[in-house]
Amino acid sequence: MLMESAIQLSCFDCALRPARVFCDLPADALEAFDAIKTIALYPRGTTLFNEGRPARGVFMLCDGRAKLTVCSGNGRRLTLRIAGPGEMLGLSAAVSGTPYEVTAEMLDNSQVAFVRRKDMLHFLRVHRDACLQVVHLLSQDLHTAYDRVRAIGLVRTRHPAAAKEAI
Amino acid sequence: MLSPYGLEIVESCLTCKLRAERIFCDLPNSALQAFENIKYATAYPKGAVLFVEGQSPRGIFVLCKGRVKMSICSTDGKTLILKIAEPGEVLGLSATVSGKPYELTAETIDPCQVNFVKREDFLRFLKEHGDACFRVAEQLSEKYNNACHEVRSLGLSHSAAEKLAKLLLEWSSRNGEATKQEPRLKLALTHEEIAQMIGTSRETVTRLFAELKKRQIVQSKGSTLFIRNKGALRLMAGA
Repeated sequence: MLMESAIQLSCFDCALRPARVFCDLPADALEAFDAIKTIALYPRGTTLFNEGRPARGVFMLCDGRAKLTVCSGNGRRLTLRIAGPGEMLGLSAAVSGTPYEVTAEMLDNSQVAFVRRKDMLHFLRVHRDACLQVVHLLSQDLHTAYDRVRAIGLVRTRHPAAAKEAI
Repeated sequence: MLSPYGLEIVESCLTCKLRAERIFCDLPNSALQAFENIKYATAYPKGAVLFVEGQSPRGIFVLCKGRVKMSICSTDGKTLILKIAEPGEVLGLSATVSGKPYELTAETIDPCQVNFVKREDFLRFLKEHGDACFRVAEQLSEKYNNACHEVRSLGLSHSAAEKLAKLLLEWSSRNGEATKQEPRLKLALTHEEIAQMIGTSRETVTRLFAELKKRQIVQSKGSTLFIRNKGALRLMAGA
C-alpha cells in the first residue's frame, strides 16, 4: 500500500511494470499512456463507478484492491470478484460503449490511474501492442466471469443457504 | 454452392452481403483479404459439437449462419446453457487468445456455416491487423457483459419463475419486437433446454409455462409464443 507522499506520476518509474499484463508496453505506447492518464489516491470505501452508469473511462489499479459487485432491482448485492493491482476496471464497458456492468468499490487506500473513454479508444487504435494487451485482459476477465457463472449456476439445491455458501 | 445440409455456403467474406452488420466481419478489405487466407469455411449439421469445455483451444469459429448453443457442465453432469450464439459471433475467442481451455461447449442447434481459423494463424493475424484486434476487444467486451448479466440473473433472482420471466422478456425484446404491445418470439429450445438456461428442472419450466398460459400472460401457437401481458411478466421478473 502506497503512502500518500509516494504517489507515482509516471508509469516509467513503476517497479512493478514488467509483472503486469497491460503495463509492460513498449516505450512509445507507455509514454502515450502517461500523457492521457490522471492519477489519484482513493481511500478505502470509495466507489470508482456504479453498475448501470455510462462508461466514462477505465481505471487502472496501480495498487490495492477493489470489490466488483452486481445488484438486483431490489437491492440485493452479489460479489463477482476482487480485483487486484495491475488490473484495469471498466474496460469492457469503455470498449463497447455500454454501461458499466458492475460496481467497483475500493477495499484499500490506493493509487488509481484514470483514462477517459475517448482517449482510451484512440490510444488502442493507434497502439496495436496495447490493443493486444487489452484483448488479453478482456479474455482473463471473461474466464473469471465464466468461472463465477459455473460456481453459481451449477449449484442446484433445495437449500438456498447451501447455494449461497457455494457462492 | 449448396452444402449437404441445405445451406448456401458463402465462400468469400469479401462478397458476403451481411458483412456490414457484424462487428467482427466489418473489417477493411486488406484485413479481410488476410483473413480469407487463414480461414476454413465448413458446414455443420444440427447437433454437431464444435468444441468441448475443457479442450485445449485449437482456434476460433466465426459463426456465419445458424445458431449454436453455448453451455457449461458440472462434474456430476448438470448442464447450464449460457447463451445461444447468433451469426456474426466469434466462438472460442477468449480461450484462443489466452491459450486456456475452452470455457464452454459449443453445439449447433441449426445447420451452420462456420469459418474456422487455427490459433497460431489467428494470433498472428491480430498482431498484424490493429482493426481486427479492436473488433476482437469489442466482441470480448460483449461476451463479458453477457456473462455479468448471467451472474446477476442466476445469483440474484429469487425463483425459477423470476428467471423464466426475465428470459422471455429478453428474448421478446429482439428482432424488432421490443416496442410491440404483445411481442412474439419463436421458441427454438425445448423445455429441458430452457431449464438448463435458467438453472432449474424441465418439470418446473413446464409447470411455469402452464401457469403463464392459464393466467393469460402468454399464449402459444405452435412454436411461437405471444406475450399477452407484458406488464404482468415484468412484475414476475421483478422489474
